Amino acid sequence: MLKFDLRAPTTLLGVFLLFALLILVLFEQLAHGVDGTVQLLDNAFALPSWQEPLGTDQFGRSNLARLSAAIQISLWMSLLCVITAATLGTVAGIAAAWLRGWVDASIGFVVNVLMALPGLILVLLIGALFPGSFTALYIAISLVLWVEFFRVVRAQTLSLLASPEIEASRLYGFGPLYLFRRHLLPRLLPSLLPLACFGAGNAILALASIGFVYVGLQPPRAELGLMMVELFPYYSDAPWVLAQPVLCVFALILSFNLIAGGFRHDH
Amino acid sequence: MIKLLYRRLMQAIFVAWSVGSLTFLLMHLLPGDFAYRIAAGRYGYDHVTQAAADAVRLELGLDRPIWQQYFAWLGDLLQFNFGNSLVSGAPVLQEIDHQLGHSLQLALYAVVISLLIAVPVGIYCGKRANSVADRFGLFTSVMLRAQPVFVIGLLLVLTLAMNIGWLPVAGFGGSQYLILPAIALSLSLAALSNRIIRNNTHQVMHSSYLQFARLKGLSEQQAFDRHAAPNIALPVIAFVGVQAVSLIEGIVMIESLFSWPGIGHALAHAIFGRDVPMIQATALMMGLLFVAINTAVDVIGYLLDPRQRQEVEYAEV
Amino acid sequence: MIINIENLFIRSEDQILVENLSLTVQSGRPMTILGETGSGKSLLANAIVGILPTGLSQEGLISLFGRADLSLAERQALWGREIAVLPQEPWLALNPIMPLQEQVREVGELVMGQSDDQSRRRSTSLLHKLGLAKDHAKIPSQLSGGMAQRGAFAAATYAGAQLLIADEPTKGLDASRRDQIGAMLKQHGQQGALLTITHDVQLAAQIGGDIMVMRQGQVLEQGSAQEVLNAPKSDYAKALINAQSDRWPLRAQRPTGENQLIVRGLSKQRGGKTLFRDWDFEVRRGEVLGLCGDSGCGKSTLADLLLGLVKADSGQIKATVPFGPQQCLKLYQDPPSAFAPGVTLGQLLEDLIRLHKLDRQPIGPLMQQLKLDPGLLARSASGVSGGELQRFAILRALLMQPKLLVADEPTSRLDPITAREVTELLVDAARSSGCTLLLISHDSGAMQRVCDRILQFTPDRPLLSEPLLGARAQQCA
Repeated sequence: MLKFDLRAPTTLLGVFLLFALLILVLFEQLAHGVDGTVQLLDNAFALPSWQEPLGTDQFGRSNLARLSAAIQISLWMSLLCVITAATLGTVAGIAAAWLRGWVDASIGFVVNVLMALPGLILVLLIGALFPGSFTALYIAISLVLWVEFFRVVRAQTLSLLASPEIEASRLYGFGPLYLFRRHLLPRLLPSLLPLACFGAGNAILALASIGFVYVGLQPPRAELGLMMVELFPYYSDAPWVLAQPVLCVFALILSFNLIAGGFRHDH
Repeated sequence: MIKLLYRRLMQAIFVAWSVGSLTFLLMHLLPGDFAYRIAAGRYGYDHVTQAAADAVRLELGLDRPIWQQYFAWLGDLLQFNFGNSLVSGAPVLQEIDHQLGHSLQLALYAVVISLLIAVPVGIYCGKRANSVADRFGLFTSVMLRAQPVFVIGLLLVLTLAMNIGWLPVAGFGGSQYLILPAIALSLSLAALSNRIIRNNTHQVMHSSYLQFARLKGLSEQQAFDRHAAPNIALPVIAFVGVQAVSLIEGIVMIESLFSWPGIGHALAHAIFGRDVPMIQATALMMGLLFVAINTAVDVIGYLLDPRQRQEVEYAEV
Repeated sequence: MIINIENLFIRSEDQILVENLSLTVQSGRPMTILGETGSGKSLLANAIVGILPTGLSQEGLISLFGRADLSLAERQALWGREIAVLPQEPWLALNPIMPLQEQVREVGELVMGQSDDQSRRRSTSLLHKLGLAKDHAKIPSQLSGGMAQRGAFAAATYAGAQLLIADEPTKGLDASRRDQIGAMLKQHGQQGALLTITHDVQLAAQIGGDIMVMRQGQVLEQGSAQEVLNAPKSDYAKALINAQSDRWPLRAQRPTGENQLIVRGLSKQRGGKTLFRDWDFEVRRGEVLGLCGDSGCGKSTLADLLLGLVKADSGQIKATVPFGPQQCLKLYQDPPSAFAPGVTLGQLLEDLIRLHKLDRQPIGPLMQQLKLDPGLLARSASGVSGGELQRFAILRALLMQPKLLVADEPTSRLDPITAREVTELLVDAARSSGCTLLLISHDSGAMQRVCDRILQFTPDRPLLSEPLLGARAQQCA
């Protein structure tokens, strides 16, 4: 059965990292209270102080406020994308495997079209259609992510529907809802949960990537990839400022990957 | 074999269709008069007149109904008739001609270097599963995988190019310009593939068939060469196909970071500049490169692996 | 003496896996080690060959070909040349991407230094002799289990080793294939030395020579095959030998019920192969009907047709009295795969009771009849043994008061002693509830003892027989 092994040191580290980032956001929201968009040009690259624990950037904006905003955008984006992709992928996967026929064929067609292009290229093109739009990026990333959920769910459901356990329950007169709750869900969850964690990491990666090539969210918004590319020219003046978004992206992706590894499938 | 190639041809058509449709949509969603933008691309914004724009409109048939334009657009795309760049005014084909070569060069070097890293490391760790070396390999891979490829590139630039000054930071010229981008990309690919090779090696080394080969009387070396090596190699080839996605995405990011004059850089640049004909051509090239890698992997797998031949033949019946 | 073992112990960190074992194997006198799976038999073979898994330690004397002090390297030098090992699962022991003949031929080239031409000719003739002439270019996934085992035999014995060690060589094979492997082993045992490790009493009887019975790492008894098989001393050996289906008590009855199902002109193809064409037969109410035939002949498909799970290509199946819903049920070969994971058996029973508003009263007596401990209900399917789970499956089916119950190889995954117990409980329970039982099995011996009638798959038509008549005749003779 599905187990989440919190005792493994790697999983613990993953959970710890995620909590640390959330606490940073919480601290900023509750105790800091500085507007991250306010520019104070003569205060550029101020060193950390009691007022500004993480210093300021090239325009004298609060690094803490901007970082907190960027982490929130990344987390919201990944959360929304994963929930959408997992729901869509699971429903479509079960529908395709259960109904077969034209339903399976048409969903398969859509998947083939989506998979024909590497995911990031698709996100870039959609990003180009609606410059700087959070919603467009959310739709684009979800569109890329759900395919993996769909394929896993469809393949597993297909083999489960042909399995003795479901055949038996059908012979005993149990309906689709029961089959889903007792047979499909317990068998699917062990693959879906790690997939969701990796998906969250990939969503954060995709958002940062297109931010880094200036196609994603637009300035003055604080977004991790965008912050990196904006701060890159100042690497020699203030490497410690450039390091902040770099470390955040690293910690976010690492934590989700480590948490994904915590789901063990025991027989 | 035919079935296999047919499947990839379908993929290529999907690529063309989705790139064509998205860019067509892009063209009509962008603010402003498209004919005017093209005219401006040709004559420069200072010299463009409404008459010139109308001439362009007539010439390109932009006054026709939208669906006619759509099919004409897709037709042009299928003939690789991309028009001129809106930014430089030069024919798109001419622009991407050089870029494609540069991207292929980068891709090839990155894949080769990644295999040069991943294959020995993966086999070494796979033969010594759970040893200190294996754990260190796992740790390094996890750390590398947690960073976007451009962060790996960024770190390489900051350490090797700027602080130590061994290699040029960015741009294009002699082979020394290729080293950093290729290494950054290959590290990100190898971070995953070395673990795949490691797991696969571990599995093969503990397989019944390798043990049976020894029990038949073959020496350790003979058994490894004849029974282990081919079974380790086949999934590696298949995995290169799986990594084609990461490779293409990595090319876009790394070329942008290092200003490497390839297709990926051009794509990001064109999107930033709303240069629709360039977006179309570069995205299409990226997509077709993706299909080409997958096709090559399929064909090699088909030729080397009797199981795949059997599967394909079975599917054809 | 080819093998001489004295006082061998094999230990893991926390338990003794083989305890104080001594045996000798000579040329021309085969030795068979008999016991259920997991009794430490295979570890003995590993220790002799020198491939004991890491983490296990051995102590005691193993001498091969008169030498007791063989190092691992010296032992490896014997592999193929002096010691041949027939693997447990031949499918997995063959390289999945190399044609069969090449896996045999390479032994000639690499081990014996033969020329390409020599090794090609010898491997061709070997495969021909084993009936694999047509299959030389196939890869393992294209071979049946029996073909793979014969191919592995050719590869293992190519270099002409004197000693052959066969570890569970008949695991998962049909009866006819089993006899073929047995004959090959017996032939080797007459000239060279043979050590066979098996759970299969019939194979042991076929090979002859000496038998050693093992259970949980302990030697229970040893002696000549005749002594051990005809007059076993230990309780375990007695039970194991009595669990052989030809020793089961006769449970068949003369079928008397009227027709329940009338089958006319039934045809079915699968994967381009005709399973049956234009079949006519009847199933009688309350009888135990056996479906008999080689694996892949279509027994399970026929049963699924009768249950309405599969559609026929043509023909009809008519019930004289129409079945109500959930009155046709099925028992499966692999009990754990037939239950939802992660919920207790009690909960599954509760689901069923709630869905159909069943009476709880019969549960107690049924559990008693099926020898099921009420404590099992608190555990999930993965927490009980295969035999217990199959008996629970019978309970679940009988609660529905079915009219037709199909049991598809219900005991083939169980050890022989449990298999006998479950089969007898199943047949008795079906009879007492008046339910028709369709029993699918590859064990024709067992079918002869428990089925009222047997439907034998033949290429053209179903061959129906009443074994009771034949069995009675045998008993009288």
